[in-house]
Amino acid sequence: MTGTDSGLLLEAVDVHKRFGTVTALSGVSFGIGPGEVLALLGDNGAGKSTLIKVLSGVHVPDDGTLVWEGAPITIGSPRAALDLGISVVYQDLALVDTLSIYRNVFLGREDAVRTRRAGVPLLDVRRARQEAIRCLAALGVNVASVDTKVRDLSGGERQAIAIARAVYFESKLLILDEPTSALSLKESRRVLEYVTSASKAGVAVILITHNVHSIHAIADKIVVLTRGTVVGSFARESGGIPDVGEISQLIDEELVPTTTPSGVSDARIGGRNEKTNHSGR
Amino acid sequence: MSILTDTAREDRGTASARHTGSGALKALVRAESFGAGAATVIAFVVFSVWAPHFLTAASLASSVQVAAELGIVAVAVTLLMIAGEYDLSVGSILGLAALIAAEALQAHWPEPLALLAAFAAAAVVGLLNGVLVAFTRAPSLIVTLAAMFVWQGVVYVVTQGFAVSVTVSGVSHGLFAGTVGGFAVSTIWWVALTSVLAVVLLRTGLGNHIFATGGNLTATRSLGVPVRRIKVGLFVLTALTAALVGIIQLVRFGSADPTLGQNVELTAIAAAVIGGTRLQGGSGTVLGTAFGCLTLGFIEVGLQLASVPTYFYQGLVGLILLAAVLVNLYLRGGKAER
Repeated sequence: MTGTDSGLLLEAVDVHKRFGTVTALSGVSFGIGPGEVLALLGDNGAGKSTLIKVLSGVHVPDDGTLVWEGAPITIGSPRAALDLGISVVYQDLALVDTLSIYRNVFLGREDAVRTRRAGVPLLDVRRARQEAIRCLAALGVNVASVDTKVRDLSGGERQAIAIARAVYFESKLLILDEPTSALSLKESRRVLEYVTSASKAGVAVILITHNVHSIHAIADKIVVLTRGTVVGSFARESGGIPDVGEISQLIDEELVPTTTPSGVSDARIGGRNEKTNHSGR
Repeated sequence: MSILTDTAREDRGTASARHTGSGALKALVRAESFGAGAATVIAFVVFSVWAPHFLTAASLASSVQVAAELGIVAVAVTLLMIAGEYDLSVGSILGLAALIAAEALQAHWPEPLALLAAFAAAAVVGLLNGVLVAFTRAPSLIVTLAAMFVWQGVVYVVTQGFAVSVTVSGVSHGLFAGTVGGFAVSTIWWVALTSVLAVVLLRTGLGNHIFATGGNLTATRSLGVPVRRIKVGLFVLTALTAALVGIIQLVRFGSADPTLGQNVELTAIAAAVIGGTRLQGGSGTVLGTAFGCLTLGFIEVGLQLASVPTYFYQGLVGLILLAAVLVNLYLRGGKAER
């Protein structure tokens, strides 16, 4: 089986996903190791969000294998993904606006701060607050108070809290969906610093974005998706990462289907299926 | 009680972010249940001055009884609204439950069994609402509007428009329509239910899940929270509270009138909104709703004592509802309600 001795945390092998007649993913393969930052690039409709949903247990692939820590697995539900250690931070959707920071940190994991009073399981609010403060401090995130409601935070602060939460709960794989798209330059830089801290803490990070510039400097691996197919796969240590312009061209490639720029094809690792898919996306 | 300080602290969340170190007064004014608390005090003061005999133990007890019979349903409706859903069928469920208990008693079922049948029927109706809302994309406003018509229709078909009279034992009477220290026993049901649900909301994981479900469904689901189960559960809870009030009124009046429960669905939502519950879900307090119910209780009894025709009651409720929404918007600032 692929991946048993690869040292990879997660490997996707030839993953297919169809919705009726629409093929969203067609033979996608890539791998990511602990502490690595992998950027998944692609234009709208390239299959990025379907891939996130496959990795986070929302969709089960029709075909292909997911290998987790060397063993093939099926991720059947978001809960199952979470239990494996996969955290997804959706663009602008990761936190609950109307709840305070500390309540967001422990959302879905209230067990971690549960106490019993007269046999009744209750939330230990004081401990939840203290732990939330510790969780943010570990990543160097500063907020006025953990009682602040999330709707009063900036976009960067929200991303920071979502990342800190994933690191705090010892996620092994953190998937960030367009983490910097709505942020100012300064805030983007800070969020990417948090990403780097998370990866230094051993967390594997998948950054999903259509913006090459934002992630070019920090990505260890870059996978380019077009119409559900991997059209480029690069690793910093083996073969290197092409410059921004070259990758951008690859992303735009789908505008002129069936052409394959020969300059990049030899750098491909996982580009197995060059046939573009005209089934309606 | 520490829940109260918790409520205050949760309430202050928004305020503390923008006014760190501001005075206790400012924090109080910005608390989610402040508007409703103020409305309660204003209603009380106005009718104390205006309506003769308003400031007596008897009329206070009447106000509280009105508040309690509304509040038992409204507190469940509040949780449901916090989770992002509405239930327009509670009035019909109230009437249906009362009718089922009444028919069962007339058919000489044992009393506990007759009452249990009413609760069971309500639970099934609530389950149906919940499952339809959680598993189809139909909005709860429409699903429960349909349920409102259907179950009201069933009540009219069965009764042919006539009330069904019953007599109940002393035990049932004491449990549902008795008095304790001058107050209707429904007050105890109300206070107990409100207290338990306040603890659930603020001090349990489930409470966190209820807020989050209404605040951001997608994020909450992706964190592994069983949002469908939560919604279905809250619809069942709401239906059960409606059945409880149905039985309280059945026992109190000695008959199940087909108009029983009419408008309760809207008054309960009004009480929750006056109490500061967010229309889009995600925030609200049971304390605010309790204040909202008390305000409506004072107004209903106060207007009667001031000899104002009861028709004015609905108009006044409408105006207060509008004022409450505007005041809450103003107090929480534009940013909070984008």
